[in-house]
Amino acid sequence: MFVEIVQQMLNGLAIGSVYTLIALGLTVVFGILGIAHFAHGSVAMSGGYLTFLFTERLGLSFFPAMALAMLAGAVLGLLIERLAYRPVRDAPHINAFIIALGLTMMIEGGNLLVFGADQIVIQTPYRGVFNIAGVAVAELRLQVILTTGVLIGIIAYLISRTKTGKSIRAVAQNRPAAVLMGVNVNQVSAVVFSVSSALGVAAGALVGALLAIAPGVGEGLAVKGFAVLILGGLGSIPGAIVGGLVLGISESLAAGFISSAYKDVIAFLVMIFVLLFRPEGLLGKR
Amino acid sequence: MNNRSLRFVGIGALIVAALFLPMVVTVPYFLQLTILALIWVVLAQGQNLIQGITGYVSIAQAGFMGVGAYCSTLLSVKLGWSVWLTLGVAPVFTAIFAVLVGYPSLRVKGHYFAIVTLAYNMVIYIVLLTFTALTGGEAGIGSVPRPPDISVGGMVLSFGSRTGYYYLVLGAATFSTLICALILRSRVGRILVSIRQNETLAEAMGVSAWRYKLFAFVMSASLAGLAGALYAHFIGFLNPDPFGVDQSLNAILAVILGGSGTLSGPVVGAFAVVFLPEYLRVAETYRLVMYGLVLVVATIFMPRGLVPLVMQGTQSLRRVFGNKR
Repeated sequence: MFVEIVQQMLNGLAIGSVYTLIALGLTVVFGILGIAHFAHGSVAMSGGYLTFLFTERLGLSFFPAMALAMLAGAVLGLLIERLAYRPVRDAPHINAFIIALGLTMMIEGGNLLVFGADQIVIQTPYRGVFNIAGVAVAELRLQVILTTGVLIGIIAYLISRTKTGKSIRAVAQNRPAAVLMGVNVNQVSAVVFSVSSALGVAAGALVGALLAIAPGVGEGLAVKGFAVLILGGLGSIPGAIVGGLVLGISESLAAGFISSAYKDVIAFLVMIFVLLFRPEGLLGKR
Repeated sequence: MNNRSLRFVGIGALIVAALFLPMVVTVPYFLQLTILALIWVVLAQGQNLIQGITGYVSIAQAGFMGVGAYCSTLLSVKLGWSVWLTLGVAPVFTAIFAVLVGYPSLRVKGHYFAIVTLAYNMVIYIVLLTFTALTGGEAGIGSVPRPPDISVGGMVLSFGSRTGYYYLVLGAATFSTLICALILRSRVGRILVSIRQNETLAEAMGVSAWRYKLFAFVMSASLAGLAGALYAHFIGFLNPDPFGVDQSLNAILAVILGGSGTLSGPVVGAFAVVFLPEYLRVAETYRLVMYGLVLVVATIFMPRGLVPLVMQGTQSLRRVFGNKR
């Protein structure tokens, strides 16, 4: 029983890391620009497809392919910010949300056109399984958790230690004041979007390696990402990490011990339950 | 001719056109789409109530539609109730369901509310898909009956045909629009608008906002339930596919495209949402991309929707031609 619980929690940790990566990208965009960037999941899926192409066609190994795809993702993020979101920056937030829905359709449709409707799984060389005290630890899962840790470290460094990070935080705290202090808001939102899309692409690649990529997976990921944001607190980076892990682990435990068909239902019930008692999220501020 | 009488003439012309449409339009495909669009009017009016008037974006409209559809279908198929009865029960049942889920979700605002309702929709969808003993899952429920005929003084009204069903959904669409008009013009409607404009201020004036928000949410859900029931009995086959999140997003689009917060906006938007994808079918593979593009461009260049845009256009035309009102 105990071994089983540890096993499920470990599985949950791996899938939770992916949720965390998705949520991290969403939370930076939300915290700084106030946009609920629903198309993020579809961007992540394009990244997964690209990584797949790079490994299959160019013969790259998994991580270089992922890095290349992240670069492409950053460019896509820049385009999205410039062409779709910037024109509605001063309009009500609902307009940006509708734009996000439109983008979701466009990117999903684009994925379908470019990459086809088949389900794909990205092959990685990490096929080993360790056995530690009766718990099966798949090497791939460890790699996923590790990659997430490294990416979170990079983002944390970028935001807390660099000048760009400082201007990002300034815009998040008080946009008009930041503008008055000479922060280039356009540049900040461009940086935020490219970083967030690159993170999303990384998550997409990891999903492709861990589970599979198929049309429609992206929307599910976006919804999970938002659930994580709500759990952790909108705009909070530590919240995204905690929320992602809580969601991933509760989902795995639910799948292992209650019912795998209803695991998403249980994950959402956890979210609604948290909201009832802490409407601002686990780590959010009132 | 002044503005008021012009409006009456306009509405009158619309009513006459709507009544005689099935005699003019003989292409079944077109009538089919019109019936679907009228069902969508019911759905969009409900969405407008919570999104356009109260300012809370709910992404659960398709979920509630599913609740209504399955309620009506199960009662008529499994228990053999008359469809006329189940068409009445479905919105009530959906409303009760909405009270239960609305209370916790209305504790949060803005994006939080949107995402919580999104989660509701996912939960409803998954349950409909997985609870096969009751819902039949993906395989669905076949042969959902149409409402039985009614005979009024020797004249038999049959709802088995498209034409008959057209008049039924026309009535439902008119009914839902009238209800929304009544709400909008009443004290409750003004309070709902005040909540949209400034909820804190409204509460400071002594309005207990949560009651009115709950009312708007429940009314919107119950209209969705009615739309769902009408849809199920029209198509005759029911599975969870039409009740996913993407359909809720379509309901939001209908409101935004038409003009949120207006009465005629959701009507225009509903027709746009049903007909536009059909016409984009010409470019089958690019359909999703095109639809998304139309949406993005529409939001950037006409953020208030079609109806306010047209109104503004006619007003400036009048100014140009020097017609004093």
